[in-house]
Amino acid sequence: MFRLAVKSVKHNPKRLVLTAVAVALGVALAAATFTLTNALSGGFSKLFDEIYAGTDVIVEEAPDELGDSEDPFAATDAIFAHGDVDDVAAVDGVASAWGGRQVSGTVLAADFEPSNDVMAAGGAPSQIFNWAGDPRVDQATLIEGEGPASDDEIVLDVDAAPRLGYALGDTVSISTDIGVEEFTLVGLVRFGESNSLQGATLAYMTDARSAAINGDDGYDQISVIVEDGADASAVAEAIDEILPEGTRAITGEDKAAEQTAQFDEILQYIDIFAIAFALIALFVGAYIIVNTFRIIVTQRTREFGLLRAIGVSGRQLRTMILLEALVVAVVSATIGIVVGYLGALGLSVVVEALSGEIFGTVTLPIDAVVWGYVLGALVTIVAAIMPAIHASTISPMEALRESATESKKPLRLRNIVGGALTLLGVVAIVVGLYMGIEKPYIPVGAGAMILIIGVTLLAAQVLVPLAYALKAMLTRIFRVDGKLAANNIHREPRRSANTAAALMIGVMLLALVATFTESMKSLVTEQFQGNNADFFVFSAQGAIPEGALEVIEGEDGVAYVTSTGLGTVLLDGEATAVGVIDPDTAELAFDYNNEPDFDQMDGGAFIDPSMVDAGFEVGDELMLEGAEGTATLTVTGRYLNEGDAQVWVDEETGHALLGDYPIVQSMVVLDDGVDPEAAQDQLLDALAVDYPLLVLQSPGEFEQLANQFIDLLLGVISAMLGAALIIALLGVANTLLLSVTERTREIGLLRAVGVRRRSIRRMIRIESMVMAVFGTVLGMILGVGLGAALVRALEDFGFTTITVPWAWLALYTIAAAIAGVVAAWWPAHRAAKMDILEAIAFDG
Amino acid sequence: MTTTVTLAASMRGGTKDYGHGDAAVRALDGIDVDIATAEFTAIMGPSGSGKSTLLHTLAGLDRLTAGQSWIGETEISALSEDKITQVRRDKIGFVFQAFNLIPSLSAKENITLPLDISGRDIDPAWFDEIIGILGLGDRLTHLPAELSGGQQQRVAVARALVARPELIFADEPSGNLDSRSGAELLGFMRRAVKEFGQTIAMVTHDPTAASYSDRVLFLADGRIVDEMREPTADAVLDRMKQMGH
Ligand SMILES: Nc1ncnc2c1ncn2[C@@H]1O[C@H](COP(=O)(O)OP(=O)(O)OP(=O)(O)O)[C@@H](O)[C@H]1O
Ligand SMILES: [Mg+2]
Repeated sequence: MFRLAVKSVKHNPKRLVLTAVAVALGVALAAATFTLTNALSGGFSKLFDEIYAGTDVIVEEAPDELGDSEDPFAATDAIFAHGDVDDVAAVDGVASAWGGRQVSGTVLAADFEPSNDVMAAGGAPSQIFNWAGDPRVDQATLIEGEGPASDDEIVLDVDAAPRLGYALGDTVSISTDIGVEEFTLVGLVRFGESNSLQGATLAYMTDARSAAINGDDGYDQISVIVEDGADASAVAEAIDEILPEGTRAITGEDKAAEQTAQFDEILQYIDIFAIAFALIALFVGAYIIVNTFRIIVTQRTREFGLLRAIGVSGRQLRTMILLEALVVAVVSATIGIVVGYLGALGLSVVVEALSGEIFGTVTLPIDAVVWGYVLGALVTIVAAIMPAIHASTISPMEALRESATESKKPLRLRNIVGGALTLLGVVAIVVGLYMGIEKPYIPVGAGAMILIIGVTLLAAQVLVPLAYALKAMLTRIFRVDGKLAANNIHREPRRSANTAAALMIGVMLLALVATFTESMKSLVTEQFQGNNADFFVFSAQGAIPEGALEVIEGEDGVAYVTSTGLGTVLLDGEATAVGVIDPDTAELAFDYNNEPDFDQMDGGAFIDPSMVDAGFEVGDELMLEGAEGTATLTVTGRYLNEGDAQVWVDEETGHALLGDYPIVQSMVVLDDGVDPEAAQDQLLDALAVDYPLLVLQSPGEFEQLANQFIDLLLGVISAMLGAALIIALLGVANTLLLSVTERTREIGLLRAVGVRRRSIRRMIRIESMVMAVFGTVLGMILGVGLGAALVRALEDFGFTTITVPWAWLALYTIAAAIAGVVAAWWPAHRAAKMDILEAIAFDG
Repeated sequence: MTTTVTLAASMRGGTKDYGHGDAAVRALDGIDVDIATAEFTAIMGPSGSGKSTLLHTLAGLDRLTAGQSWIGETEISALSEDKITQVRRDKIGFVFQAFNLIPSLSAKENITLPLDISGRDIDPAWFDEIIGILGLGDRLTHLPAELSGGQQQRVAVARALVARPELIFADEPSGNLDSRSGAELLGFMRRAVKEFGQTIAMVTHDPTAASYSDRVLFLADGRIVDEMREPTADAVLDRMKQMGH
């Protein structure tokens, strides 16, 4: 049987080519992601190894339940005093101990100009530390010049200096929390063995200067070198004994492994994300496979009948088809894996050319191979099961029939199943949205999947009347070509429906994302309607320095600046996000979605919907425990949007709980009658001196920026869906190509009675266009519907308006029609160039 | 009917209806028939008289509406689809009028297909003998599409013979061939019966083809209306004329 299966694939590989391409494309997507994330993991694990290479033991803040390490705005606290370093140095087996301190700041390029551009202010981060002068501690070796000896000296890594335009002796500017600081470049260092910094800038200054900038002479880390022959982990344990609460000692090796593991965990999410898209692509591909095998089974009905007549059992036939599917799967998965690997290799070269060395060696990871084959085989076999079962029911008598056509079984069963699934899907979505259950997205997501399959099944029934309804119109416009095209769609409703459905899924997802992002834009617009602020302040470095706010407040024409801070506290032992605002001014600048307004806070706390879900209500007492102190607050109101912060407090409480908390957003309100444009220039000029990386955006600019980000999101997701759409179009081409082969005799006959080649081509093009547009329209209806459902499900996050993305929908429809014509090009060409006599004599 | 000869196949009260209600057609109308072993039986009759239907139901390709049929001792009208498939595989060979071969397999692979399916070994001597007699030696590696119609039919006959089935059914095997190719094919089938004791039942329209057989059954309107032993082409033609063919 296996031999027969292989022979059959080999005998007519053309009809399986597009199927193989579809599978390969999906597999390639997965393989490329695995290869890239693997290389990225390799690159970073090398970086982590080098960071901790020389240091035997690291003493640092213990990762605690407050989850500080996960808070991107949390400053690294100076938790070790000079005495702690001495204590560690005195532990048995310790050769030397160094206090390490990181300075938050950005090394500015030599030709830096303040630009008030959020994008330009970003870029690769700077890592700035105090200089120990010991390569084992610094992880950097001086290779030119000298180390920083006096407080106005600095060293940079060898790649950053030329990149930023500095040579030894030049003045280097660094934007820090206390303003722009200037240094003289006295030396160049190499990080680790090969200065692979993944694009970051590395800088070292003296201990005293770093303490001055941070405003704190404590250390956030102690690096330990053990004596020769001492066991690092034993020393680490000994150090642990004497350490203050909340800190830990860990060996450099363990630390590197821990960081690599943490990074790999992040990469795993990328993998999952990419596999999701690969699965979508393969799901669409499955429709093509179903169609291909269905058509192949039809074409080979007589062959199968003959095999049945000479004694092949139905089961054997089924096995044979599945084996054929397996052969296709293995071949195309292999191609997909190779293409994916090569694609990843090419991409890594391009990326590294643009942003420096960030990947390790790009090798094909075993994950990529395993997932590639598993996904490819699974999808192909599952998709081939129905056609295989169909083949196994072919009676030997079919061998003796004159011509092979798909059995004209009524669509009743298909409709019942399809209707039931559609209903089930809708019910699941409605339940998810309106029953207020725990995790609404689970029933909504599952409902959507079921709905897709249900609609696919029903599409066969919809397509028939539709084709008939269109027949009159198509006949009027295109005459006999249009009539024949409508007949062809109508002739094999299942096949046409599956083809259209493949496209439907891709378009549905696009329309869904477009609906979602457009609604997000409406949300942004709405938020700005209740806005009274003249400018929003942004910092590319994360938190906004206090000093910068003082500069703004000190300018003429500024009425007040109101800021939002963020931190983490414990509530009943659980980490809880707390937002800090000034109740008196916050509500004046911005109309928050809360009940009542923030100015009614009255020294208490506001809670968000997640807290309400957890059982808290207005009037309750909250016991909050922060790094700096505790506070018991009465809940005085509710904040109605989920996802910003769970508990809101005023600035006094914020300081009491958190001490200095990072400010994540500030709004500037001008005096009445001040011209905002002139004021923006004035404020930026004032900031340029000490805080050149800060950005001031007017509400209009901010809204535009937010919309740009949303469009970027739409772009990225659309690009990821591109593979699915290409596969769907291959599906249209594939179905047409196989249908053309199947109709060879008929086309020959049409040509024989005088139909011109041009007409044949047009007939196929119309068929393709109708299927493509039909799939697109169905997809858009479903996509907008599901998108609206999703927006509704996320109401807690502030979504109020569902916006239908009409412009996108129009674009998709036009694109579908064009794509239909493109997909029909090859099949139409094939059909038109057929030799009349050969076509008529064509056998099966 | 004689009961002394062993029977390769037989049918009692064989009835076959197609369609329902007004569209119902009775293709076989209570047929009793015996196919003796080592005999070459021809089935003749006007178009639509039920010849193909008789052949198909005898061979277990199709089921009777009523009545019983046997292959050897096995009553196939009582068997499940799977069991019938097995009987076909082990005991029966087929030659159809057209589309006899799997397009993706070479001539040789087509011929050995029944053996491959049932996992039996090829008897090389027997294979060579068949190939030699049928004159297919230089065509074995060709695909069906590369063979002439006559060659394709000879490959089909070779395939039917190679597994030494108890019974071969052929439906107008020479229908698509010119008279010389047809005569060669029929001559070979007759030799298979005479020299190797093969049993063959063949449907044909052609009195000349029928004259190669030992016995001709005449069908009309789903019933057997006559039978002729040691037929000649002229006698068969006369009989057909009487039936208004
Ligand atoms: N699948 C079918 N469905 C309905 N009626 C059928 C079917 N197959 C055969 N018949 C009918 O049964 C009768 C006998 O057909 P059968 O094919 O056995 O005739 P035949 O003697 O082989 O004719 P021919 O010489 O033309 O091949 C005919 O009336 C035919 O129309
Ligand atoms: Mg017939």
